[in-house]
Amino acid sequence: MQKQISEANFRLLLDSLLLKGQRVVGPRRSGSTVLYEPLSSASDLVVDELPRRSVKEAFFPVCEDLLEYRKEGQQVQLTDITPDRFPETVLIGVRPCDAAAIPVLDAVFSWDYKDQFFLERRSKTTIIGLACTTSDDACFCTAVGLSPNDPKGADLMLTPLQGGGFVAASQSKKGEAFLDVWKDRFSEPDGTATVPLTQPEPNRLDLKKIKAWLDEHFEDPVWDGIATRCVGCGACAFVCPACHCFDIVDEGSEKTGKRRKFWDACGFSKFTNHASGHNPRDLQPKRYRNRIMHKFKYYNDKFSQTLCTGCGRCIRVCPVGIDIAGVLEEIQEKG
Amino acid sequence: MCENKNIYLPYLATVEEVIDETPDVRTLRLVFQDEQLRENFSFRAGQFAEYSAFGAGESTFCIASSPTRKGYIECCFRAVGRVTESLRRLEVGDTMGVRGPYGNSFPIEQFFGRNLLFITGGIALPPLRTLIWNCLDLRDKFGDITIVYGARTEADLVYKRELREWEERSDVKLVKTVDPGGNGPEWDGKVGFVPTVLDELAPSAENTIALVCGPPIMIKFTLPVLEKLGFDDEAIYTTLENRMKCGLGKCGRCNVGNIYVCKDGPVFTARQVKAMPLEY
Repeated sequence: MQKQISEANFRLLLDSLLLKGQRVVGPRRSGSTVLYEPLSSASDLVVDELPRRSVKEAFFPVCEDLLEYRKEGQQVQLTDITPDRFPETVLIGVRPCDAAAIPVLDAVFSWDYKDQFFLERRSKTTIIGLACTTSDDACFCTAVGLSPNDPKGADLMLTPLQGGGFVAASQSKKGEAFLDVWKDRFSEPDGTATVPLTQPEPNRLDLKKIKAWLDEHFEDPVWDGIATRCVGCGACAFVCPACHCFDIVDEGSEKTGKRRKFWDACGFSKFTNHASGHNPRDLQPKRYRNRIMHKFKYYNDKFSQTLCTGCGRCIRVCPVGIDIAGVLEEIQEKG
Repeated sequence: MCENKNIYLPYLATVEEVIDETPDVRTLRLVFQDEQLRENFSFRAGQFAEYSAFGAGESTFCIASSPTRKGYIECCFRAVGRVTESLRRLEVGDTMGVRGPYGNSFPIEQFFGRNLLFITGGIALPPLRTLIWNCLDLRDKFGDITIVYGARTEADLVYKRELREWEERSDVKLVKTVDPGGNGPEWDGKVGFVPTVLDELAPSAENTIALVCGPPIMIKFTLPVLEKLGFDDEAIYTTLENRMKCGLGKCGRCNVGNIYVCKDGPVFTARQVKAMPLEY
């Protein structure tokens, strides 16, 4: 289903949602940066800047409570954190590279054991995507098979119209339901042209060729060459919309506290350290190799998906200038 | 078993017994506090669990007791870090957490009618001890049972009382060894590294399954000996223990290449291990 909404109606729609008490999360200025955070009015929404961190934290927060413990004598009382309490949310202005990572994350959080912390939020969230009309030199969604208006992961996809407003195309039942509930704000498309979309660097990567090389080159001098300068800060994993490694940690006193799940990163030196001191990934090149392998081979082997959407955030934040798109090109040339 | 919606929520268990195996290795016998769970908790030899000391966190160990022994489970660990030090401070009657059982298991039914050769070293006995007792409790289903167990020193041997029991039994052969220099004046076992002792013992590979668990260095030198003795890679099983957090195939740290030890393992054949990249 395809509809159209004027700029004014779009603002009214957002404010109506908020007035109704609906939780609306979207890109907004938060201190000096733009982040996906709850909006308090339509004017908070920032549509022309890629948020500094990805949208994954709407489903998989940096840190979340899993349980509370309280000791009384030799007994322990546990308080479950029931995922039922997560609020219904409208996630708006989600960039295609962020939205596309959500179905990728579904695979890991729903295979076999179901992580209700992720899945409950997922089921209670309507995702409204927004096509990109600007890009920068780190964007490479087109190189991993996506595009500035790829609707993957979105329930409803907005594309900006010339002169303001958006075309809204539903991608799922949730998207259709949203259009239906708010039908008074939308109109039939009148053929107004959309704003030309950005075309990020056309460095098209051949993911099949890259994977074929990775299949055969676990041991290869290329890893040393690429990764000796990696400082293992983990920033790439933290800003990545698809990275999902986590740690489970107790925080509190011996008597009372919480067990929490935290983002973690395979680039950290102790990530795989055994109790014996033996560490299978004891050197940074091995850790960087795991990062590339997990994204472009292992996840594919397991879930037939690529664990990268080309958002380019890791390129922007890397303190030593490691460019994952460049690394992939280097690998592709070897294949 | 009671299914929790929250997959990270552990069962509560009471420490029923504390046994010091060595100065820094301890066994805890645990009884689930939920009566129904106590009756119904089932697992297979080779599976692992996440054990928690509340306030310190969770640690991953195999379930060291046999699935044939009902009403309790045991874990055995060396106190080397924050969680294991806290687990070691637990006393009889204290409460801890257990999540599991997780992972695959030894395909014990496929071992019926075969001879079993257990080869293990140091604190790697617990992951095989579950299977050893499982097999001893079904003794007539198997042929000869041989256990080759080594440690650095006499003091580092775990389950000493059970080693004596196995020595006394006529239906199991125990070959125990300590590294050169690790033997005291009373030592009545062999002196030498596990692979060397295995080489001298030269057990027949015919109709035999080898079950190997030990530090990486022991495995590395044991596999060629087994190969020389004629063991097929499909007849050799081991259990890997990569660092884990969730145990559920999500947290992303136990992988060896594209193999998730927590889901695809921890039990693997030598053929599977040889196909893996060196990341364990």
